[in-house]
Amino acid sequence: MRKIILALAMLGAAADAVLATPAVAPPVATVATAATKAASKSTADHSKFKVLQQDFKSGPEVTKACLSCHTEAAKQIHKTKHWTWDYLNPESGQRLGKKNIVNNFCTAVPSNYAFCTACHVGYGWKDNNFDFTSEANVDCLVCHDTTGTYKKPYGLAGNPATKEMEYPPKSGRMIKPADLPKIAQSVGPTSRATCGACHFYGGGGDAVKHGDLDSSMTNPSKYLDVHMDVKGLNFTCATCHATTGHNIPGSRYTPTGKDAEPARIRGKQDTSNPTTCQNCHGQSPHKSAEMAAKLNEHTDKLACQTCHIPQFARGNIATKMTWDWSTAGKLTADGKPFVIKDSSGHHESYNSKKGNFTYESEVIPEYIWINGKVKYTLLGDPVNTTGVTQINRYDGSPTDGKSRIWPVKVFRGKQPYDLETKSLLVPHTAVGYGEKDDTAYWDNFKWEAALKAGAEAAGRPFGGKFDFVKTEMTWPITHMVAPKADALGCVQCHSKGGRLENVAGIYMPGRDSNRTLDFLGWLAALAALIGVVVHGGVRVYLSRKAG
Amino acid sequence: MKKIIVGFAVGTVLFAVVAWNMAGGLMFVERASPFGMDETIARIQHNILNSGTGWTLTGLRNPARAVQSDGGNVLPVIMVEACSTRYSGPILKDDSVRFLSILMPCKIAVYKKNDGKVYIANMNAGLMGKMFGPLVGDIMVKVAEDQQKFIVMDPSQPAPQMIVPKPAGEGGGGLAGGSGC
Repeated sequence: MRKIILALAMLGAAADAVLATPAVAPPVATVATAATKAASKSTADHSKFKVLQQDFKSGPEVTKACLSCHTEAAKQIHKTKHWTWDYLNPESGQRLGKKNIVNNFCTAVPSNYAFCTACHVGYGWKDNNFDFTSEANVDCLVCHDTTGTYKKPYGLAGNPATKEMEYPPKSGRMIKPADLPKIAQSVGPTSRATCGACHFYGGGGDAVKHGDLDSSMTNPSKYLDVHMDVKGLNFTCATCHATTGHNIPGSRYTPTGKDAEPARIRGKQDTSNPTTCQNCHGQSPHKSAEMAAKLNEHTDKLACQTCHIPQFARGNIATKMTWDWSTAGKLTADGKPFVIKDSSGHHESYNSKKGNFTYESEVIPEYIWINGKVKYTLLGDPVNTTGVTQINRYDGSPTDGKSRIWPVKVFRGKQPYDLETKSLLVPHTAVGYGEKDDTAYWDNFKWEAALKAGAEAAGRPFGGKFDFVKTEMTWPITHMVAPKADALGCVQCHSKGGRLENVAGIYMPGRDSNRTLDFLGWLAALAALIGVVVHGGVRVYLSRKAG
Repeated sequence: MKKIIVGFAVGTVLFAVVAWNMAGGLMFVERASPFGMDETIARIQHNILNSGTGWTLTGLRNPARAVQSDGGNVLPVIMVEACSTRYSGPILKDDSVRFLSILMPCKIAVYKKNDGKVYIANMNAGLMGKMFGPLVGDIMVKVAEDQQKFIVMDPSQPAPQMIVPKPAGEGGGGLAGGSGC
């Protein structure tokens, strides 16, 4: 009896222990590490390299050690957009890149470097004086960490924490320094977690910017992404964004609207964009379905994503859909900023620092023609003060032979512009960790000072008077590819009020009608009916007559 | 005479066909919401709690969850469930209409459709109640009046917080306090 009681007590204790364990999964990259170590096909174990067995005190020290073997890596990185945040679009002549464009999320980088550059592949970019020629300033770990512990907090100008520090400042919460020796000795290929550390959190939080990229994609199910399914194909980002010399293909500045090339053949000289669906699936991807031939007829007009990404933000994480800066700056009676949560309780619907937001999950995309050309509204460009200013405008039409219909997220906002120059303004919002100034909006809530400082940092004039203008920014949707069984069905587009209701320039059966054609159709149907009745009647009559 | 009988029979059949086709549409009511899923649900929940007619929230059910966990792609659907013992009590006490417990608790569905809009659907309690005699008819008329208050979407009012029930077993249901039915 005692044994039974003892056994039950032990069972209870074990159950308690299980229940008491916090329901927090280990960091994804840590899980990946265990699997990677066991199944790694790498010919190098970085923990055995003498040069990495140092007590590293800073990121650049690690980089110098990396470069002692990977001698060309930093030079390669220096040529990429991930490093320069600068890109000259050869077609439009526009100078793009993160440091040049304005968006309608946190708006722009100038004057906010120390904060924004948490997502730069470098160390120390805190102002206009950053040394872009320094090899030691290249951050290898942000892409090659496999421990899941390497973090670059906002405000540290792209540096990891190198000592225990209170973060965010005055929060009472402490963060530990990155264990640089351990991280350096554990480096490996990029992963969904490392790319996602920045790309899942664009716009200032999880799922904010893209809609089809969020932390649910770190370990997605087949339902969420058929290619990245951890139990299936388990693609990493680099599987499609096949990288050569650290140059990562796939860009929203020069997207491929229509890839008319056949599937890539190994060994064949091919300069096409490797990130497109056609690059693997070719131009006739439907093989076994009953409707294969009919579906393949659609591929010259529809991007694969249009049917195969039925919704975005499908991972139970809502994406931000609107951001109204014009309501920012409200304070409590005692002058303190405040936050109001939205109906879900998970997101802010108002923040004194940023204004009003809305979030949405399972979002039905909007659909537009895209031919690969895109034009941005940059600082200095005129805005539409009476309507909506397009932050980026994708070109495309049904007749140019270069376009396909794409699903897009359209992010709508209101942001400041200069009443004198009639162009967008950059608010100086954030300061570096532990710093303080009189102009940062998130500290002082004074628009004039923040906009003046932002304009100065961006090298733009500021007339002193400002207002807010409605803006839209368009994001082509290309991730979160659903299993084929969940692709859109015919009637979801071929119907009145269907998905493609607003796509102009094409005749779509089911959606569109032509009165003459409809009349002729009904006339034919009526004639057939009359024919059947008359024929039947005559036969009945003749049979009775004969009988 | 024969013509009258035939005409009556044809008329009856035609009426039955039309009624049969329209019945589905009359039994349920669907309308678009000006808000997103979460806010629509939250507003309905708070309307229910503030109705002052004894209604309590009895659950928030997600019928899409099972399909999604099975690997299927379904647009969001949430059922807001509410109950008022003031109305359910008399029905549950009467053996002749006790089978109507199948309609309990009162449900309001909030879902997204392929046009990207959020919709609200509920049973036309007033019409349905009339089929089951005076007791149920009287009760259901009052339920229908309350239902109309539940689905008022007043943009001048700030968005309330959604009330998420604590998990209570399988099926995505769960009780949010209240008496239940």
